[in-house]
Amino acid sequence: MAGNDYAKVGEFKPIDLLAVAAAREVSDGEVVFAGTGLPMLAIMLAQRTNAPNATCIYEAGSVDGRPIDLPTSVGDARCHYQGALASGLWDVFGQLGRGVVDMAFLGGAEIDQYGSVNTTYMGGLPGGKRLTGSGGNADINSLARRTVFIMVQEKRRWVERCSYITSPGWRIPKWPGGEFVHKKEVYNKAFRGGPWAVISDMGVFRFDDEGVIYLDTVHPGFTPEQVRDKCMFKLNIARVSGETKTPTYNDLELLYKVVDPEGIFLS
Amino acid sequence: MGRPRKVSLTEAIGLINDGDSLTFSGFTIWRRPMAAIMELIRQGKKDLHLIEVNGGTHDDMLIGGGCVKIWESCWSGHELYGKIPGNLSRKFQAGELICEDYSHVQMLYRLVAGAHGLPFMPIFAALGTDILNPEYDMLGKVGLRDGSHPKIPSKKYEMYTESFTGSEVALVPAAQPDWCIAHVQMVGSEGTVRVLGQKYADDEAFKAADKVIVLTEQIVPEEFIRREPERNLIPPYLVDYIVELPWAGHPTGCYGSYEADGEFIKDFYTRSRTQEGFDEWAQEWIFGVKDHEAYLNKLGVSRLETLRASTALGYSQKVKRGSR
Repeated sequence: MAGNDYAKVGEFKPIDLLAVAAAREVSDGEVVFAGTGLPMLAIMLAQRTNAPNATCIYEAGSVDGRPIDLPTSVGDARCHYQGALASGLWDVFGQLGRGVVDMAFLGGAEIDQYGSVNTTYMGGLPGGKRLTGSGGNADINSLARRTVFIMVQEKRRWVERCSYITSPGWRIPKWPGGEFVHKKEVYNKAFRGGPWAVISDMGVFRFDDEGVIYLDTVHPGFTPEQVRDKCMFKLNIARVSGETKTPTYNDLELLYKVVDPEGIFLS
Repeated sequence: MGRPRKVSLTEAIGLINDGDSLTFSGFTIWRRPMAAIMELIRQGKKDLHLIEVNGGTHDDMLIGGGCVKIWESCWSGHELYGKIPGNLSRKFQAGELICEDYSHVQMLYRLVAGAHGLPFMPIFAALGTDILNPEYDMLGKVGLRDGSHPKIPSKKYEMYTESFTGSEVALVPAAQPDWCIAHVQMVGSEGTVRVLGQKYADDEAFKAADKVIVLTEQIVPEEFIRREPERNLIPPYLVDYIVELPWAGHPTGCYGSYEADGEFIKDFYTRSRTQEGFDEWAQEWIFGVKDHEAYLNKLGVSRLETLRASTALGYSQKVKRGSR
């Protein structure tokens, strides 16, 4: 078997496929905003495979670092090892506002069919369970050209409309009135994109012209119907283009030997 | 303003009154003034109002200690070592804490406006989110936006169509907390502040606040720190009090000095999921130790040596972080 051959089911873990599928969303040369956790694995893998000229910005203020040890969060000193800059939020969020950021990785506790996510109150207010809050999620989903979400596929987390919209997808309320409209009508001249893909442990999803999510590829071992059953809304499975490509042996070698040899996220 | 005074931690924290508003240096679990947080709890402060670009282990600890009435920020948690802020979540659910949410950019720009003496900043970020839902103006709902609280703006935000390009932007109000409590790597003997590594939102936090207390890993001769002024962040006249206190950021990490103590934070998070658990934890690590020195002795030399950063890398490679 060659390094570029695709691994067979049973030769990799679900989390490996998440990281690899996320890495494959990065195009070479892009400026990428990444957050804590799987996004770190994804961007570090992408820079060693399909996107060697991609640049990574972490929102705490590290720009184009070349970490030799996997950071555990964006404020970590490892993020800016051999970096171009160790600056701060004013610098990197300013770059985001200026339109420099091509793509970003994000996550959430709840996602809706328009790509909005909730990281604040699971179940909404009043009475919902308090989570971490937005952090940069809202800002990055607002102003990056493309965002890619990494999500757990649990039915209660895939909903028609988020119980609290922390981070704006394709259809959102226009405050203070709250009319539910397309993102373009809220952002007008500041509009430059939005949710591009969602990667879960069961499939890869994209958004149609109306900003509604559909299943693009299903991970090996699952059927589109099984994925649909894990959504509270009626997921469009008519556009499935096939199975998600598995990690290559080279991807797995890089993930376990180079990116996360300590077993921080890949235990 | 004059020159800053060198004081003990007990004296510095003794200056903070119940009800004061606070902001801090650092980012999530990095370079937080933890010794000051523990001293605030030890001194039994009440009704504090936190106004922060982001929270972390420090604010969740203060909240667990019953010191906080209002939390205004965008995030709190313990990164890899605890996925939600256990104390904040519990106290909010019990109706003992007001949480006013903004986004990261919104909070940053509020502090920027405060630091620059402007009444507000305009932003596009986070439009179309429930952060702007009038139903979730938490300070307004409890009647605290009536103008009688100098640190609480009369509105959470305002939508505005500007006449230069016709864009609709959100205006977020300036924030000028009573105090910034910071932890940094180095301060000159006259008070010049140097921050190594990422600056996070320290510049804005220092300058937005009315008064500044700086904890520092070390005080160095002023002549030394002024050899390279381009590496410095804050001049002496913007600092009010200096406390020299090595390891004052523990268990958060401090670039160039020490690693975040993940095991300690995880233990705090696990135990503080209930109030009884937090109280036991606080008895062991805050009330059961006399001061910061006793705290460090309790941690022990070998634990601290494992956390100590490599001079070459700025972090420690001796800590076991994963499963391999």
